[in-house]
Amino acid sequence: MSMDIRVEELKDKSLWEPIPESEKMGAEALTAPQVTFWGDVWRRFRKNRLAVIGLVLLVIILLFALVGPLVSPYPYDKQDYNAILEPPNFAHPFGTDYVGRDLFTRVMYGARISLAVGFLAAMVQLVIGVLYGGISGFMGGKVDEIMMRIVDIMYAIPILLIVILLMVVLGPGLVNIFLALGFFYWLGMARIVRSQILTLKEEEFVLAARVLGASTKRLLLRHLIPNAMGPVIVTVTLNIPNAIFTEAFLSYIGLGVSAPMASLGSLASDGVEYIRTAPWLMLFPALTIALIALAFNFVGDGLRDSLDPRLRR
Amino acid sequence: MKKFRVFLTLLLVFGLIFGMFVGCGEQKQEQSQGQEQKAEMVLRYNLGTEPETLDPAKATGVPEMTVMLHTFDGLTRLDRDGKPQPAVAESWEVKDNGKTYIFHLRKDVKWSDGQPVTAHDFEFAWKRALSPEIASEYAYQLYYIKNGEKYNTGEITDPNEVGVKALDDYTLQVELEQPAPYFLSLVAFPTLYPLPEHVLKAHPEWPKGIDKDPSLYVTNGPFVLAEWSHHDKLVLKKNPNYFDKDKVKLDKLVFYMVEDANTAVQMFENGEVDMIDNIPTAQIDQWKGKPEFHIDPILGTYYILVNVGSDKTMGGEKNPLQDVRVRKAIAMAINRSVITDKILKAGQQPAYAFVPPGIPDAEPGTDFRQVGGNYFSEDVQKAKELLAEAGYPDGKGFPKLIYLYNTSEGHKKIGEAIQSMLKENLGIEMELQNQEWKVYLQSRNEGQFDLARAGWLGDYVDPMTFLDMFVSTSGNNDTGWSNPQYDELIEKAKYETDNAKRVQYMHEAEKILMEDMPIIPLYFYTNPRLVKTYVKNYAAISLGWVDFKEAYIQK
Repeated sequence: MSMDIRVEELKDKSLWEPIPESEKMGAEALTAPQVTFWGDVWRRFRKNRLAVIGLVLLVIILLFALVGPLVSPYPYDKQDYNAILEPPNFAHPFGTDYVGRDLFTRVMYGARISLAVGFLAAMVQLVIGVLYGGISGFMGGKVDEIMMRIVDIMYAIPILLIVILLMVVLGPGLVNIFLALGFFYWLGMARIVRSQILTLKEEEFVLAARVLGASTKRLLLRHLIPNAMGPVIVTVTLNIPNAIFTEAFLSYIGLGVSAPMASLGSLASDGVEYIRTAPWLMLFPALTIALIALAFNFVGDGLRDSLDPRLRR
Repeated sequence: MKKFRVFLTLLLVFGLIFGMFVGCGEQKQEQSQGQEQKAEMVLRYNLGTEPETLDPAKATGVPEMTVMLHTFDGLTRLDRDGKPQPAVAESWEVKDNGKTYIFHLRKDVKWSDGQPVTAHDFEFAWKRALSPEIASEYAYQLYYIKNGEKYNTGEITDPNEVGVKALDDYTLQVELEQPAPYFLSLVAFPTLYPLPEHVLKAHPEWPKGIDKDPSLYVTNGPFVLAEWSHHDKLVLKKNPNYFDKDKVKLDKLVFYMVEDANTAVQMFENGEVDMIDNIPTAQIDQWKGKPEFHIDPILGTYYILVNVGSDKTMGGEKNPLQDVRVRKAIAMAINRSVITDKILKAGQQPAYAFVPPGIPDAEPGTDFRQVGGNYFSEDVQKAKELLAEAGYPDGKGFPKLIYLYNTSEGHKKIGEAIQSMLKENLGIEMELQNQEWKVYLQSRNEGQFDLARAGWLGDYVDPMTFLDMFVSTSGNNDTGWSNPQYDELIEKAKYETDNAKRVQYMHEAEKILMEDMPIIPLYFYTNPRLVKTYVKNYAAISLGWVDFKEAYIQK
């Protein structure tokens, strides 16, 4: 009979009231504030002090390289024979070089090239690398075999050789370095994406999508690649400083920009000779390369940690 | 714990840095101690690079010449003023209006193995240098000898027709194609050194193998080879058989082969080497005014080669450099004192003519350059007018020029300065292109350039060594320029016996060269050196090398 009593109690309308109509839809919502995947990433990223420093540094460098030359009173190729090899001062914060050019302006232009190289490397990786690796991994079998062997073969060609060959054909210039970097920088990415896709395509959500009749294109672009995005972004950010270093190195040995244009590598190379008499010629370009690379590395590290919490130790 | 680790790391870093300095200090001490122990007088000089060969017939570069200058003695030897002094030849007669030379050789000159040096050794060496099999690049130094060129080019095959003959063991007769007033300087040149015939007969591959067995390098100079470790150093020791050995005070000469100029300066500072050439321009300021810093003269001109011939590099367009007004405009728009005083800073002289100072003119005590004077001057306004006259006012419509230089910091700086001067003064755009030495030479030869930097160092002290480069048939004339009047004047000067007239012809030739301007002179070279103050009595010869025969060290 106890049951009856309870039912009686329930019938007693004074003891409860129905939830209002407006709240019915969110009946199952969580009480904590809703957090998307990217919001979560950003939260974790913010907690990483080094990553934030890297990001701030990156913004400063971007401003320095993109806006700096517009406000600088000196053109990068203006020679002033009365101000040769001046140490850093108010008029020339980084000093002047052996024909009296303002090093500050030249470093800004050099940073521009470095950033352009970084941007190019990122684009090449994101477009060619991701698609190539995605197709290779998704198709599997013979297609995969052939596509990966092509990557292997290209991996075996030294970039220096390609740049020198390009220089013979096209003459010296920055274009060579851009072409060579574009030619090579998607290889690593293709491999990473392929291995990601290989694991992802065995997952059940892919099977589900397939059962529902999704096309290959839709499978790749809507399901597989977005799920592989974490490692992709990390690889991109960590590869950018590599590309920047490569450009600096190639310019350093004289394969890059032709004078009077300056890249950080060629500036450092010009400065080496003066390391004892005018050390700022070497110091500032080298420091800028280091800072750019450091900033990208910090950000890349931070992204890796926040994109994939499992990787965190 | 973390703090402790940071502290440890810092300690380590400082320890390393400190250790570096301490290490350097110790090294220095060890060395000076070592020197005091052996009382040998040793002089250490940086050759700058590994000698390609020590065969006098085949060597071409200053490093090779420097080594052989100390291991050999020619008929004459240049003194510190570049004048030929008797060496193996104690006297000579000049006959036939300067077309025949009879050299009387000293009888006490010996090879380092004790055999006497005879006139036959000279005859043998010269014919060997001329023989097509040896293919000596410097064979043209012997073209003054009768039939020398014909034998070298294979036109005649009998070496006995060449105009050099040993009349007896100690008399050498030389017949020339044409009188050459500088022939006595020429016989001091390594290509014309004697060679030990008895050694070369036994070792046809000579001087192959001298690095393993230095005694095989049988020579007649103040020093003999003691050790040759490749790309490291070359050691010469005093030659006990040398006829003039009383004047030789050094026991040992060590030639290092450090290619990097900065490293060489470092070594000089550390006291590991006593004398270096080729100071990096970056460091000139630092050394100026110090007692170690010397600016020695050297016969040489730095100039721009203008491609006046082909339209190749212009992509089929008309080559504006064919217009002499354009060439003159470029020459006038370059501010040379900026290059010499602000960039190079080693006392170089701006050049407004081709032949450098330091060559005597016809009158004794006068200088060819001073007599000839300047042939043009810098004038930006005039340059602009000339360019406008040529059809390119303010550089409008002027194609982009390619400026070729061989890879070197110095050439690059000069190129950058010229690039900026031409752009600012004339509105002409120029692209800098650097190539490695051999590629650069090839491009120059094939005319793959518009403007190219070039430099020429004299082989002997006479304007002819500079001027005969630009006759139409010369292998060194890469400009595509040819002027029959010029060729004729050079030819006349070569056959002229009256020195005053000969010099006059050369002045006229230089005037034509500067009026047509297939080359744009920039500056006259100097040879900045660092020499320890205890190095005494060396002779810096204006042809680029140093003679240590009578040098000594006084500490």
